[in-house]
Amino acid sequence: MKLQSYRLIRFLNNFFIYFVLTLFAFIMLFPFMYMLSTSFKIPADTFRYPPRMLPRDPVTIEVDGFEKPLPLYYVEINGEQKEFALAQSNIKIGIYAPADNLSATVERRLTEVKPTGGATNQQTVVVNDKEEKLFDVEVDGQIIPMILISQTTVGEFINPENPDEKVSQNVRLSTPVESISWHPENYKQIVELNNMARALTNTALVTILVVIGQLVTSVFGGYAFARLKFPGRDTLFVFYLGTIMIPFVMLIVPLYQLMVVIGWTDRLAALIIPWIFTAYGTFLMRQHFITFPKEIEEAALLDGASRFQILKNIIIPASVPALATQATFTFLYAWNSFIWPLVIINVGNEKNHVLTLALNVLRGRASDTPNLILAGAAIAIIPPLIVFILGQRFFVESVASSGVKG
Amino acid sequence: MKNNLLMKLLSLLVLASFVLAACGGPAPQASATEEAMTEAPATEAVTEAPAADDVALRWRTRPDNQEEINVYSQISSELDAQLDGISLTYEPGGSEGANYQDQLRAEIAAGTAPDVFWIPGTDVADFATRGLILNAADLAGATDGYTAENFYAGPMFHLTYNPETGASGDGSGAVWGLPRDVSTFALYLNLDLIAEAGAADPRELAANGEWDWDAFLDVAQKTRALGPDIYGYGASAWWGPYGVWLNASGGGFFTEDRTACNLNSEESLAGLEFQRSLYQDFDVATPYGEDPEPPFRAGNVAMFQNGRWATPGIRTVDFNWDVVELPNGPQGTPGNWLFWGAYVINANTEHPEEAWALVQALTTAETQGQVSALGANIPSRVSQEALDAFLTFTPPDNNQAFLNGIAPDANPTAEGPLWAGSWPEFDKIMGPAIQGVLTGATSVEQFGATICDEANKAFNQ
Amino acid sequence: MHSHSSEQTKLTLHIHFVWRIVFAFLMIVGMYVLWTSPAERESWQKIIVTVVCSLAAILSIYGATQINKGNHSGRMIALLLDYLGFATALVMALNTGEIFIGIDALGQTFPQGIPYLGIVIVGYFLGSLDEYLPTKKATSENSLKTVGRWIMLLGGILFLWQIEAVNGAVYFFSKLIQPLGIASVIAIIIFGISLWSMSRPHIAQALGVKTGHEQIINGWLFLSPNLLGFLIFFAGPLVLSLYFSFTDSDAFNTPNWVGFDNYARILNVRFALLETPTQLAREVVDIKIYDEVDRFVIGNTGILFAAADKFFWLALRNTLTFVLFAVPLSVIPALILSNVLNSKLPGMKFFRAVYFMPSIAAVVGIALVWQWLYNATIGYINYFITLGIEFWNNLFNLAIVDPKIQWVSDERTALLAVVIIAAWQTMGFNTVLFLAGLQNIPGELYEAATVDGAGAWDKFWGITLPMLAPTTFYVVSTTTIQAMQVFEQVFILMNPPEGPNNSTITLVLYLYRSGFQNFQQGYASAIAWVLFIVIFGLTLIQFQRQRRSSIYES
Repeated sequence: MKLQSYRLIRFLNNFFIYFVLTLFAFIMLFPFMYMLSTSFKIPADTFRYPPRMLPRDPVTIEVDGFEKPLPLYYVEINGEQKEFALAQSNIKIGIYAPADNLSATVERRLTEVKPTGGATNQQTVVVNDKEEKLFDVEVDGQIIPMILISQTTVGEFINPENPDEKVSQNVRLSTPVESISWHPENYKQIVELNNMARALTNTALVTILVVIGQLVTSVFGGYAFARLKFPGRDTLFVFYLGTIMIPFVMLIVPLYQLMVVIGWTDRLAALIIPWIFTAYGTFLMRQHFITFPKEIEEAALLDGASRFQILKNIIIPASVPALATQATFTFLYAWNSFIWPLVIINVGNEKNHVLTLALNVLRGRASDTPNLILAGAAIAIIPPLIVFILGQRFFVESVASSGVKG
Repeated sequence: MKNNLLMKLLSLLVLASFVLAACGGPAPQASATEEAMTEAPATEAVTEAPAADDVALRWRTRPDNQEEINVYSQISSELDAQLDGISLTYEPGGSEGANYQDQLRAEIAAGTAPDVFWIPGTDVADFATRGLILNAADLAGATDGYTAENFYAGPMFHLTYNPETGASGDGSGAVWGLPRDVSTFALYLNLDLIAEAGAADPRELAANGEWDWDAFLDVAQKTRALGPDIYGYGASAWWGPYGVWLNASGGGFFTEDRTACNLNSEESLAGLEFQRSLYQDFDVATPYGEDPEPPFRAGNVAMFQNGRWATPGIRTVDFNWDVVELPNGPQGTPGNWLFWGAYVINANTEHPEEAWALVQALTTAETQGQVSALGANIPSRVSQEALDAFLTFTPPDNNQAFLNGIAPDANPTAEGPLWAGSWPEFDKIMGPAIQGVLTGATSVEQFGATICDEANKAFNQ
Repeated sequence: MHSHSSEQTKLTLHIHFVWRIVFAFLMIVGMYVLWTSPAERESWQKIIVTVVCSLAAILSIYGATQINKGNHSGRMIALLLDYLGFATALVMALNTGEIFIGIDALGQTFPQGIPYLGIVIVGYFLGSLDEYLPTKKATSENSLKTVGRWIMLLGGILFLWQIEAVNGAVYFFSKLIQPLGIASVIAIIIFGISLWSMSRPHIAQALGVKTGHEQIINGWLFLSPNLLGFLIFFAGPLVLSLYFSFTDSDAFNTPNWVGFDNYARILNVRFALLETPTQLAREVVDIKIYDEVDRFVIGNTGILFAAADKFFWLALRNTLTFVLFAVPLSVIPALILSNVLNSKLPGMKFFRAVYFMPSIAAVVGIALVWQWLYNATIGYINYFITLGIEFWNNLFNLAIVDPKIQWVSDERTALLAVVIIAAWQTMGFNTVLFLAGLQNIPGELYEAATVDGAGAWDKFWGITLPMLAPTTFYVVSTTTIQAMQVFEQVFILMNPPEGPNNSTITLVLYLYRSGFQNFQQGYASAIAWVLFIVIFGLTLIQFQRQRRSSIYES
């Protein structure tokens, strides 16, 4: 009995835990799901309210006697829902009522109703101190003079199998028949339209070069800080550490002017070279190398190996996880950076755009097609996600360790 | 020993040459990079090598969609063939949301801006006073057949304004550029919604001279009554649409001589009061701040206030639509707002003559026709031919509505203080102030009490 | 083995002595040319070059005397200067050959090479496959490795061919053949020879090398690429930024020294007592100079806060508000989630990975997605709110009105919208950090507490929180530093970026606007330094609190 209640409590406890976790997982994933589903929609579908997850297209149907395929709508006939085709829209309807009983309204097409007394000599009646024109409206085979209260429009829907079966109702409030259909061609369109392909490869190029460059400089620098004794090392290291806190925006103005002087404005080099020297990466590498056992190194030195050989043959092969971590960090930083490319790359020089810049341009140019914008966003977001999924074993764990040590 | 002495001397010589180059070196280095800029590196040179002795010019304008990019690219290659000794490269540039002008300023500062570029009329004075664009007065004076009167007077007043003398027009000693196009506001109508609501057709009302604020409000209210997500009126979230109501009620942003704020005059406030009532009292407008274009295109807005540039996008909607001019104010006077932009020449261009030739070629009636056929622009050249051609660029059927908007009776005021002050500052003040009133955060009275204290700072005093 | 006669060694040292003198002389000539040449350069550039050149000259002469005396410091100086010269010449040669701006051309051809890069990767995986295969045959392992290597090599060659590396190399050399390029190459050779000669053992011995010197040289050598880049692209600009903040630099004209004017303008504020809460600003402050930033109403009176640059103060207000909300919103849920994730149940790694996903996606892309989620009329967020309200209304027969929040266009919610995105993006990252901190807490502490009869809450407050204090400090301070720099979300989400009624103008956004739209780059630099001081102050406060709490614990 006690055991059972304990199990029940544990079950409830676990159930609650999973409930909370799933709820948060939904919050975390929902924007991504929305992005992907919208990127496969047609524009009209993206503006629909209430919004829906799966992309849908309106269904059309060929009907005899009509040139173009007609859109299908749901109509209700005698309480039964049927799929009818919209044959004609914007049919003007008048709402008429007798002058002495304004609540007894009837709806008639404007073309079916004639002015009482003829068009040139139309009779009138005074209702609520206002003179109103009279029309001959047929009700149950009887012609009654009525006044026009208001107007509206309807559409004529026909049974596709039997075009003579007709129903009139408001088109705007009718529900169209839709089918689920995905539009992967949005991606093709966005890649062709907005130079996204070039932006994608540029981003890849910049990212690869920054990652390689940063790994090289921080491995050497980190090794020097960790293992080689030279005067000024510790002071310099403290200086490096101190700069980690300095936000990048501090440098944006002078770095921009430096680029102007060197002639690198509007050049991919400006997105690469300044970024391959990093205090933070050097710090991470140093923290890693310092844990490496000294004895192995000393033995190799005694065998006559140079420092470079030790680094290349012993230390680097043993540091793959740390290198992978830093590579992933750098990858994400380089791939996602925005403010610096925004400042340094010309908006007109689409040849040198990176993805974030292309998205910024796209946002203005395609503001009426969210499906295309979100396809562009997906192109920018998915590659880092793939890298993350591949490297997540290393990555998540070392983010954790770097945080604790730092 | 001899050998060594020789070695020493030799190395001395060589090093002398090197360090001289290295230490005093930035000059040759800079020229090297400049060379590289005009001359694309190896692999690219293969694909776009210009003819040997042609002057290479880059030009830019702001397109809003791919169709415009295509038309401008086509114009560029046509002019390339047409203009002797000039080879052209067209760069699309950013879009409205993407800080087109700011980027240009940055590029001019960095020395990488194109030779000829389009800027919105609002930025002409700022670019000119900063010395970023070339005064082409001498070049224009030497050009046969050039006169400022070929173009609409509104833009040309600013484009020929000489800030030193205050003179304007031909012979003022200043030509900052030539206008690419002009545009005014109109109301884009969803005819289906208006018919469904049983409201009167605004085009007929306008033809009969009955299109005033009351008639406008009637249509807006009738369509708004169709459903909670159907709106009678929509306008973008900035203070531009306000300009129309203000002008129609007889007010104005500025005093007559455009040197001080006139926003607190009774007429100006009456315009604002009417616009406020559309949002707050009658609740017929799409919520201020939300872009009304998506709901309009989804068929949920009856009247959408926007410029000619919205036409290409709206051509894709699947309901019946047209345009009508904005309603007349309480005194029966129309009002509108004149938009324009100009092709100007980079002050640092190495080829001013060729650049001026390009500016002229870009503003011929023929080129303007090509661009306005696309639907986004109204030609800035004053010629019956151009206007007649413009009327044929349908839909919308009622293109005349736009021309009515530019007509002098419509009192289309050009936007900012421009030469008499700072447009960007004026803009930064107006935005929040108008928003405050239209969202109900501040009253029209409060607006009137404080606006000129702030806005007058944007004027040179 | 050949031995070096002392004659030869002496001669070599003598050449080195002369070379140092010549080097110094050339530096001085260079400075002279710099200041007399007609080409206009900004004074800060001239000053930097002068300082570098004169330092080099002085060092070189000192080094020469030391070499003459046979001191080892002479060797160190010679190595240092020659190394720097070598590096400079190398960079110059690469620049003359347009290697750096040639990356643009690489951008053009790179796409063609990507498939072949794929081949290289396939080859790599094939080669490393044998580690995972349980096969014991040495030959098959080797063959797999060899095949992998060959595929990598082939892919590499094809890649280089596809990106037109040959054309690039030809272009490089064609550009190099011009005076500056040739001079650079010659300089590389000379510096190279000098370095090589100085590092030969008999020269080193002649200059009295000791054990440990090798480590010093190696240390600086290994650090040098990093350090040089760091000085040029980080430390140098940082100093420049400070200099600019005292000038009126505008990117077009030569900057003028303006002293503390920029800072004075930022800090020029006035407080004024209001007689009534709605009294107009012009009645209490000089509105020709000051703009109203905010007013604090106290009963029937109030205080008006006005500033010469109201945008800065609005930006500061918004940024601090943002930090005040975004930091707790991304830290507290992360703390809770990490405790839940720490419960050793199956599937926790999956959730951890899911939570982490937002923090790796590009902010620009994320902001675009949220822009549509926030849409007032068709967006999902308002849709969910509507559904929720309908649900409660039906359940309890209430009449709650659907607010239809205009998330990004209402000044009351615009900043909140940005806060939500930021919290959403950083929460997962913080969760992982907390999780690591939790896993470092020794389990015995909890066991001991259980024996003492402590409940779950007591354990959380008594053990988890205090033990997590260092992690919390790290998380809070990094999140704060990041939040202080909020820019991208605002820039993409809002149109205009300042947001409705300037409600989302942030310090970095204002810095960007001042520096790159109005081109007041000196003023922008001053804003950057104020931003830094604020960040520094906030971190210091947190540090103090953390220290105090850790003292309290012990």
